[in-house]
Amino acid sequence: MSVAAQSVASAPRVRSGRWAPALAGALALLLVAAAAEIVLDGAAGHSALIPKSPAIAGWLSGVGERLGYRVFLIALLVSVGAYSGLLALARRRELSPISKRSAIALIGALHLIVFVGPILLSTDVFSYIAYARMGVEHGLNPYLHGPSSILGDPVYSYVGKDWKHVATAYGPFYTLLSYPLAPLGVTGALWGMKLEALLASVGTLALTWRCARAREIDPVWAILVVGANPLYVIYGLGGAHNDLIMLVAMMGAVSLTLVAPGSRGREAGAAGLIVAGALVKATMAALLPFMIVSRRRLAPILGALAMLVLGVVVGYAAFGIHGIDVVSALNRDAAFVSTDSFANEIAHLFGKPGVFPIDHDFLKAGLVLIVLHLLWRTWRGYDWIAAAGWSLLAISVTSTWLLAWYILWPLPLAAVSRDRRLLLATLAVQALFVMHQITPLLAPVS
Amino acid sequence: MSAAPSSGPGGFGTRLPVRFAPRDVELPGLGTMRLVETTVLVLVGLLLAVATVDDVVLETHVNQRLVADLRTWREYTGHDYKNLSVEQDLRGHTTRDVICGNTSPGPPKERTQLCLAMTGPVVAGRREARSGWYLPPKSEDLRGKRYGCFGVAKDEGLCSP
Repeated sequence: MSVAAQSVASAPRVRSGRWAPALAGALALLLVAAAAEIVLDGAAGHSALIPKSPAIAGWLSGVGERLGYRVFLIALLVSVGAYSGLLALARRRELSPISKRSAIALIGALHLIVFVGPILLSTDVFSYIAYARMGVEHGLNPYLHGPSSILGDPVYSYVGKDWKHVATAYGPFYTLLSYPLAPLGVTGALWGMKLEALLASVGTLALTWRCARAREIDPVWAILVVGANPLYVIYGLGGAHNDLIMLVAMMGAVSLTLVAPGSRGREAGAAGLIVAGALVKATMAALLPFMIVSRRRLAPILGALAMLVLGVVVGYAAFGIHGIDVVSALNRDAAFVSTDSFANEIAHLFGKPGVFPIDHDFLKAGLVLIVLHLLWRTWRGYDWIAAAGWSLLAISVTSTWLLAWYILWPLPLAAVSRDRRLLLATLAVQALFVMHQITPLLAPVS
Repeated sequence: MSAAPSSGPGGFGTRLPVRFAPRDVELPGLGTMRLVETTVLVLVGLLLAVATVDDVVLETHVNQRLVADLRTWREYTGHDYKNLSVEQDLRGHTTRDVICGNTSPGPPKERTQLCLAMTGPVVAGRREARSGWYLPPKSEDLRGKRYGCFGVAKDEGLCSP
């Protein structure tokens, strides 16, 4: 093709590309506006979506109205639409619609807005604080007692009613990490938890960037996938969930294996970090077999064992045998059923009122088959990061207790995986979760 | 194409037959496995999508029924109370709902309560209240607490004898 012909052919592309940054800017503004609407309305006080909380966002109140389902769901749907559009645009690198600086500014704005606002959509953070206060202020073992054992404590009234009698299911490392916040009072601990979640998110995004670069994936696109995700921002960060701490450990481990592949020390460190993450939240243990199968060396096994021994010693010293009995905590939680779980929806589809014990067994069997298939594929050279992401997605889809922040687990892995299907599947599952929330918009009850 | 299996130096499983030996990178192959996986994924995705839409429709109908029930109770009693207790038959998946509320102004359940059992389709935003009963103040809707059954509830013996 001649130079003249090339310039003629590329001219429409250049012209058509001019709209891309403007459209990206408009979509970013929509994301920020939707998050701000939720936070400002949430700051107006307790509602069906905003848990009872100490007045940490009182200075924002008076601007919005009490957050109801209608406004929340519209804002959530707008966020999902804007996020999808932004990702689609960011994929087209030839249009250069979003610079590194713009992406960081957008994600920073979303994080800041949610950080300064109230706790959104979940009482879990008050359970975290209650367990910490049980151990530090009341000398009780949070692995043996539920928050109901500290009825007189100021945090008790904020704990979700379903969790008042439930002992902690989190790992000993997380419980110990939360202990320093206990003496700060409920408000101080709440800010501490929010700060922990914020820092964990920033760490996860930095590591996602690093992993994407190591894999020659556009890092701007990768951090947008994670950091601008509405469920990640509104549910994960908004609720200050400890899943974000698990995610930073997860991406730390992935980063160690990607940045210097073949380094035995780093592989041992990565396996150790996975175990450390599992001692925050047990789900992260799902990564370990995939990493070991992909490396097929002694170093990661030794790294994992070393961290496991450390975790058992620390957990036993701090909490006794119950602090390291992860299996019984997992079994207890696996029996819970949430209305948003796909298992529950499928039961309704087949005319059953809900999930029965036999269904739990079928789901576990299905999950085992999926994991075995993925392990075989990893053994035969499939990307272990993608395999681990699929297994996390399978855990959330087959779980009868599905919450929005559980479908965040595979997201950072999907952003840096070599299998694009994982990201599509993760986003599709998230979209179905959001779709399942919209009933109050279709038929409001008054 | 038959590439030799490879693994990291000192890796496990290098002595296994080629068919079972570990690999560092997948062989390009014919993509059959990927095709099967993608087909399964699409089918599972369709099942999840259908189940989600079905559940949204189900919940929407439940909410519409609930709105009609509340409206019917308020019109039947002439009280525009907001705090009414609702018990839907989620276990049996019938459309029979029981709505209870105070018969005179006061905090929820602090006065004598009138419970109406609603059945049938929503017609003009309301449902048929074919039966009901009363509950003493500060009582939950338990059979032993019910009295003054009327309509079908009386025939079915839903009140304590």
